[in-house]
Amino acid sequence: MLRRLYRCALRLHPRGFRRRFGDEMLSIFDHEQAGLAAFRLLLDGLVSLTRQWTLRQEFWRELPANQALQPTPIGVPSFSTIDPFRPRSAAVVPGALLSIALFCATCFAIRYSWIHVLHVHIPEVQFERSRWVPPSAGVSASSREDSVSPIEKGQSSPAISITSHSPLSQQPVVPAATVGTRGTPVPKKFSIESKVPSQTIPVTSTATAKSVIGAEARSAAADAPLDAAEREQVIQGAIRNLRRYYIDPPMSQTMAESLRRHAENGDDDEATQGETFAKLLTMQLRAVSHDQHLSVIYNQSAIPEGVTRPTPEAIAQYRQEMERTNCTLEKVETLPHNVGYVKLNSFPDLQLCQPKIAAAMASLNGADAIIFDLRDNHGGSPGMVAFVASYLFDHPTHLDDFYNRSENSTLQSWTLSPIQGNKLADKPVLVLTSAETFSGAEEFAYDLKMLKRATLVGETTAGGAHMVRHRRINEHFSIGVPDTRPINPVSRSNWEGTGVTPDVSVRAAEALRTAESLAETMLQK
Amino acid sequence: MADDHHFLPLSPAALHILLSLAGEDMHGYAIMQEIARQSGGQYKMGPGTLYDNLQRLMDREWVEDLGQRAGDEDPRRRYYRLTLSGRGVLEAETARLAGVVREARSRLQSTRPSLRKPRRA
Repeated sequence: MLRRLYRCALRLHPRGFRRRFGDEMLSIFDHEQAGLAAFRLLLDGLVSLTRQWTLRQEFWRELPANQALQPTPIGVPSFSTIDPFRPRSAAVVPGALLSIALFCATCFAIRYSWIHVLHVHIPEVQFERSRWVPPSAGVSASSREDSVSPIEKGQSSPAISITSHSPLSQQPVVPAATVGTRGTPVPKKFSIESKVPSQTIPVTSTATAKSVIGAEARSAAADAPLDAAEREQVIQGAIRNLRRYYIDPPMSQTMAESLRRHAENGDDDEATQGETFAKLLTMQLRAVSHDQHLSVIYNQSAIPEGVTRPTPEAIAQYRQEMERTNCTLEKVETLPHNVGYVKLNSFPDLQLCQPKIAAAMASLNGADAIIFDLRDNHGGSPGMVAFVASYLFDHPTHLDDFYNRSENSTLQSWTLSPIQGNKLADKPVLVLTSAETFSGAEEFAYDLKMLKRATLVGETTAGGAHMVRHRRINEHFSIGVPDTRPINPVSRSNWEGTGVTPDVSVRAAEALRTAESLAETMLQK
Repeated sequence: MADDHHFLPLSPAALHILLSLAGEDMHGYAIMQEIARQSGGQYKMGPGTLYDNLQRLMDREWVEDLGQRAGDEDPRRRYYRLTLSGRGVLEAETARLAGVVREARSRLQSTRPSLRKPRRA
């Protein structure tokens, strides 16, 4: 009986061990087979069984008595290795399991890790004022801030009336933007958004608010009247989205309370037009938070539910717009003393405009210094920000982390440096700023300042750092909720609310002249 | 040979097996009995441990398998022999142990008086 058990134990040993020593072990058992000794041997056999399977994997394979190299017939290709090591066939199973486990762990880490290292391009995230998407595109949970790029600035009458207060309205603008736009039907949400330099809107002033409302009301004559129930629904929806997604939760609470208070005081009662009401809510939100990326938007056509992409027409329109404005590159030239000058009025979509921006940078490759004029730049794609910055470094440089509250994730933005053939990586850089320089343009200025790579000349910028995502409230209303904040790796902070302060503070109108003489001085050293 | 020295010190099982085979070629059962004899019956190695160690010693080429011998009372038995490198390792281990013993003796002798110092109040 014990012998049978012992044989069983021997049979269960790895094949190599069993073949080599099985008979001998049984032979010993046969010699010792007497009372207690047999038990001891059986126990020893079981221990050996465990040991061979768990600790002796290297011997699972049968070792041939003589490992002679098999000669390869002449003409048959073969590999010769110095190390006779060959993976055991038995290692295939644990190897495969380990590979699968590692693969799963990697996938899991990519999906859920705190930091995703991404080089530059952050697909669905856009700074405000970068896209020009007509209302037909819809505004949905995933669509980005669909506001006007600076080019469209002149297109809506209310915006003109507001922006005309800005000293920068005297600045040269893209010629095309001022031509023939009056007759173009401009989507109302853009006219609301239309690039109001925050400093020029006293949002806390009721008088101004009312006058703006009046202007909006005139332009929104076709809107269906709003009743109190719908207003309440919109307010509830706005509060719900703010609480859930807004980058600063305590502030979302304050804003919610403010909206409630205004509603209870009857401040909203006069807003019977969708457009007017959206504008009013936007002002109420910004008055509390001073976050210029926040906006409530009214859409005349119904906003589809769920995630929608911009329609092909919208994309074609944007493409056409970028074509018309040369990707918002207003001017690219070489100034006296071989100083390169590029006036970029947005950071347009990287995919679409990369060739044009790259060509512009290439044309300035021989410059001894470079001036970026961002005085009329209201931001755009962080990918484009990183792309343009790539020309200013000779190695990949960490620009920013983008922390998203609702996803609790952080994306890193790095430059694509070095760019082949680029000679600008060590040339002096000057960046012109104004009080209108906003969002992505501020990122460009701020990052270069933190990295001590550029001298900023001009005015303190507008102070909008957040990135915004549009979320549907109901069929006609949506809300742009900033849910992402940049965190600069040097300062561990950003420019939200404070703006980027220039190194050389001059009026925006003087900035170019000042920068030119600064560049000249730098080059003479 | 020098490469084998990083295997030192040997495990007690490996040492006893090499020691058993130092005199003559033996089959497994004889090795077990020899080990029991060497240790005065204190160390009884089971066949599982024996062949596990033999497997590794052969892998290191310290022991070689001579195969079965005609005319043996049990034809299943195989004989094993200490190789030259196995002998070298055994010598190195023996020298190492001798050093240990020498060191131990000198320490014990030098510390004995103080250990035996009567402590009476």
